[in-house]
Amino acid sequence: MITAGIDVGSITAKAAVLDAANIVGTKIISTGYDAKKAGRSVLDQLLETLDMAAQDIQALVATGYGRNTVDFADKTITEITCHGAGAHFLNPDIRFIIDVGGQDSKVIRINEAGKVMDFAMNDKCAAGTGRFLEVMARALEADLDQFGDIFLKAENPAKISSVCTVFAESEVISLIAKGESRENIIAGIHESVAARISALAKRVGVAEPVMMTGGVAKNIGAVKALEDKLETSIRVSEFAQVNGAIGAALLAERLNR
Amino acid sequence: MDTLENLRAVAQDPYGYARNIQATESKPILGYFCSYTPEEIITAAGAIPFRLFGTREDISRADAHLQSYCCSLVRGGLEDALTGRLNFLKGAVFPHTCDSIQRLSDIWRLNAGMALHFDAVLPVKLTTESARNYMIAVLNDFRSELEQGLGVTISDEALYKANHTCNRIRELLGHIYAFRSQNPSQLKGSDIYYIMKAAMVMDREVLVEQLAHLWADLREKGGEAPPTDRKRVLLSGGICTLPDIYTLIEDAGGEVVWDDLCTGTRYFEGEVRETGDPVEAIAERYLSRMVCPAKHKGMSVRGEHLSRLVREQQIGGVIFLFLKFCEPHGFDYPYLKACMDRAGVPTLLLEVEEQLPAEGQLRTRFETFIDMLE
Repeated sequence: MITAGIDVGSITAKAAVLDAANIVGTKIISTGYDAKKAGRSVLDQLLETLDMAAQDIQALVATGYGRNTVDFADKTITEITCHGAGAHFLNPDIRFIIDVGGQDSKVIRINEAGKVMDFAMNDKCAAGTGRFLEVMARALEADLDQFGDIFLKAENPAKISSVCTVFAESEVISLIAKGESRENIIAGIHESVAARISALAKRVGVAEPVMMTGGVAKNIGAVKALEDKLETSIRVSEFAQVNGAIGAALLAERLNR
Repeated sequence: MDTLENLRAVAQDPYGYARNIQATESKPILGYFCSYTPEEIITAAGAIPFRLFGTREDISRADAHLQSYCCSLVRGGLEDALTGRLNFLKGAVFPHTCDSIQRLSDIWRLNAGMALHFDAVLPVKLTTESARNYMIAVLNDFRSELEQGLGVTISDEALYKANHTCNRIRELLGHIYAFRSQNPSQLKGSDIYYIMKAAMVMDREVLVEQLAHLWADLREKGGEAPPTDRKRVLLSGGICTLPDIYTLIEDAGGEVVWDDLCTGTRYFEGEVRETGDPVEAIAERYLSRMVCPAKHKGMSVRGEHLSRLVREQQIGGVIFLFLKFCEPHGFDYPYLKACMDRAGVPTLLLEVEEQLPAEGQLRTRFETFIDMLE
C-alpha cells in the first residue's frame, strides 16, 4: 500500500511517501506565508521527483500545526502522535523523543508499540525552539547551518541567563560588546536552549533510549548540549526533519478506507 | 426564556446582572474570590455573595500594585476594582487561602475604595481540634463584623434558613453534575460551566428556585440519551473561567464529565448540618469538605480523592487546569501526577491565563491527549 504523510510546520513543510513501510521518498520546502499552498506544493514536488501521480497515493494523513489546511487529507493527526509513530518506525527501541521545531518544542514518551504515553509542549514562547536559534544567529551574523560546528570549538561557553528570546538577544548583544568570543556565545545559546528543553523533558520523565527529531536535530551543537544536560546519548536519524511526515504516512496505512 | 438560557445569560454578563440587582433591589452585594467564603452567613445577612473571576479586559492599573507573576485571577479582580467596573459591590470578603489572595486583601482595602472589607482568617491545617475551635471563632467573628458593617442582625433563624437554601443549591448542583456525567449528550460541558458560574453570583433565594426548575426539566428529558463514544475527561485545578475549554475538548473527541475544581465540585461538595449551632455547622462542612491545595488535611488526601473520582466517574484521563503562576496548585502537581501515573491514568497539564493560549497549540495538546486515552 502506497501512503503519504504531509507535515506542515511553521517554518518548513515536509512530505513523505511510503510503500508497505519502505520510505520511497521525502521532501522539504519552506512553508512561507501560505500554509495551505505549501502542503499541496510539497507533495506535488515529491511526486514529481518520484515520477508518481496523486492517484497513486492510497491514503494520506496530514500533521503539523498547519494540518487542517491540507483539505485533501484522509485524516489529520497531531504531530506528537506522528513523531511517536515515526521514531518507532526508524528505531523500535526508542522510548523518548525530543522534537524541536521552528515554533515549539515537544517531549514525547512512547511505549514499545510507538504509542504516546505522555508528552509536554512549551508554552507560547520562542525560548527553546528553532526560532530562538534563528534570532540568535541573526544577532551574531552567523550562518545557522554552521552553528553546531562553531559550538564544538567553544572553550568556555558564555552564560545566557534570560529565558525570554527578546531579553536573551539583548544579553547576546551585551556579550558581543564585552568582547566575548563568538564560539563561546554560540555555545552559551545552545546551552540555554538545552536547559529549557531538558526541564520540559524532566517534567515528563526521560526514558532511554532518546531520539531527537525536527529541524533543530540537524544542529550537532543542540544535540550535544542536550546530551550533556540529560546525561544520555541521543540518536539522530538522517530522517529527523521529516520524521513527522513519515509517521503520518505510517498512520495513513492504518486507516480503514 | 427557559431556565438554562437564563442562567447562561447571567453567567455571560455577571456584572450586568449585579448592576440590575443594585438598581432594582436594596440587597447589598459582596464580592469574593474563593469557595472558603461562608456564603451562608452572607445570605443570612440579607446580602448576595458575588464571586469574582478576574477580568476580560486588558490589565494595566493592577500592575502598579502586583507583580506580573501573580495569577490572572488576582490581577484581573484588582483591575476591575480599580477601574470601577465593580462599583456595584458594597464590599468584599477575603478568606485566608493562598498568599496572593491574602496580599490582594491588603491592596484592595487600601485602593479599591469600597465601603466594607472583611478578612476571614481561616486555619490552614484542618485536622486538629484547635483548628475546629478556631474555625468556629473566626466564623462567629465574621458574623458580628457583617452585622456591624451592614447594620443588620443575623438571627439563628436566618442562619438556619440560609444553611438550608445553600444545602439545597449544593444538592441540586450535585444532581445536575451526576446527570451530565450519565447523559453527556443531553447537557453540554459549557452549560455546566455557565450553570456553576451563575450559581456563584446570583441571589441565592432566586437561584435555588431556578435550579429546582432546571433539575425538573432535565429529569423529564433524561434517560433517553444514546451513549457517546467520546473519551471521559476530568478537570482538576483551581478555577475555570473559560467555557471554550469544554468545546475544544469536545472537538478533540473527549468530554469533561466531572471535575475537581474550586468553581466545580469543591464548591458544592458536603452538607451543612441543619440542627444545633448553625455557625458550628458551617465550620464543620469546611472541615470535612475536600481541601484545596492552600489547606491541609493529611499528606495524601487530595490524591486519594482524585483517584476515587476517576474510579467512580469512569474517567479515561485527567487534565490539570491551573491558572498560570498559581503556586498552591503548582506545588501539589508533581505528587498528584505521580499518583495518576501509578494508577495508569494519563494526564495533561494546562496552565492558562484569562486568555487561552494560541488555539492551534491547544488543539494539538487536546487531540494528542484524547488519542492517548484507551
